[in-house]
Amino acid sequence: MKKILSLIMLAVIAVCVNAQSKNKVRKIEYNSAYNYEVVSLSVGVDGTKLVKVYGYGRKPEDAVRNAKELGVACALFRGFPAGADGSVATTPAIVKDPSEPAKHQDYFNKFFATGGQYLQYVNASSDGMPTDRVKVNKKTYKVGVTLSIAYDELRKEMERQGIARALNSGF
Amino acid sequence: MKKIILLTMSALMCASTFGQAKKPTIMVVPSDRYCVERGCSITYNDNGTETTLPDYKKTMQNDSDIRLVISKMSGIMSDRNFPLKDLEQELRNASQESAETKLISGADGGSIAESPIDVLKRTAKADIILDLDVTVNKRGPKKYVTFILNAIDAYTGKNIASSSGAGRPSSSAAPDLLLEEAVLSHMDEFIGRLQNHFDDMFANGREVKVMIKMFNSADMTFSETFPTEDGDIELGDIIEDWMADNCVSGRFSLSDASDNFQKYEQVRIPMMYKRNGRDRAMDTKTFVTNLKKHLAEAPYLIDSKVYVRGLGEAWLIIGEN
Repeated sequence: MKKILSLIMLAVIAVCVNAQSKNKVRKIEYNSAYNYEVVSLSVGVDGTKLVKVYGYGRKPEDAVRNAKELGVACALFRGFPAGADGSVATTPAIVKDPSEPAKHQDYFNKFFATGGQYLQYVNASSDGMPTDRVKVNKKTYKVGVTLSIAYDELRKEMERQGIARALNSGF
Repeated sequence: MKKIILLTMSALMCASTFGQAKKPTIMVVPSDRYCVERGCSITYNDNGTETTLPDYKKTMQNDSDIRLVISKMSGIMSDRNFPLKDLEQELRNASQESAETKLISGADGGSIAESPIDVLKRTAKADIILDLDVTVNKRGPKKYVTFILNAIDAYTGKNIASSSGAGRPSSSAAPDLLLEEAVLSHMDEFIGRLQNHFDDMFANGREVKVMIKMFNSADMTFSETFPTEDGDIELGDIIEDWMADNCVSGRFSLSDASDNFQKYEQVRIPMMYKRNGRDRAMDTKTFVTNLKKHLAEAPYLIDSKVYVRGLGEAWLIIGEN
């Protein structure tokens, strides 16, 4: 009987440890600077990109806010992938030099602060709360938001700040 | 104090003006396939071989699709402070210049001196050609656009940037809307690749082509030897040594050579050089002129002539000035 009990205890501990490590991985992934879940939807009007970005948060509203932040960060540092059916080509990152974010850390902290300048370059292109949402665990919602990113305006701002190189720089 | 500030500002402005590299010109040209398919081509008999060439003037005059695409691309490039040369306007300018050159005469009746080479050079040209091919295809009731854009360096012939793909089929959108969508979809990717090319150019030098030829009146070949500190060296090797010393990181490739010519490709020339303490932009003409000066010095004392084919290609013809 004792043996059976100890075996059950061991199994429970193993499950808990596994769940904890899964949570840890998830937490690391949420906070990763490289973790963007983005899909290019279609060609936006002049100078904009229409993308679907997935954000995470304790409430759906927080997840939408996170998605907006991630959408702008993705345009800046990673670029958008090509559309699934090939109808939209790849969009390159505005900031190509990987050392630039660290060099301008103060600027980006301010840029991405709550209610910061980044909101000027992103628009949710649907009214109300997005229906594409999943509760991934007790504390976290994952929400997919269709966003219109003002890519050209964002690029011009980065060129003005000297963070991105303009096509004609040096000539 | 104000004077000092003004002087400092003007000095800074001068420095920034002189610190700019030569900007390549870019022009969109419809692909040969596009022109031929639309019936805008010229066919002639070239010594028994039927040859078909694109008729750009006819294409630009008759095809509204290509005008729409070029106009859209020009707008995007202007927005990036890199305006494109307009093919239609360049063709018009070339014929206008030709007519004016024939008509201008001085007070004593002299006309403008023009060699057959000058006439040949008076064509629409650019340093980077954007070779554009668009097709509106049909799949059942739906239409979609295939878009192919290649940036070709006019001198090295290398494809330096490209973007291509087929758009999403639509049964309701008009072809011009699909064309516009194709341009908007591909331009950022294309410009990103063009930017990579420019970044590489600033890091490793501009890639150009240099040809060294001989006038038939020259009393030497590339095997002729000259006495130097390191003993007798052939002319071909002297030129190769100079290239190794003056190219960025010594990068060049002697792709072909004989007793009468040397063909240097993938020659990386510096973007800037110092003159009177100021940075000046380097082009192939300046680079090859420096080689000409080197060969004119003792112990070589060789006469030569520089022939410029554009920003990225120049020839040095040995034997005469």
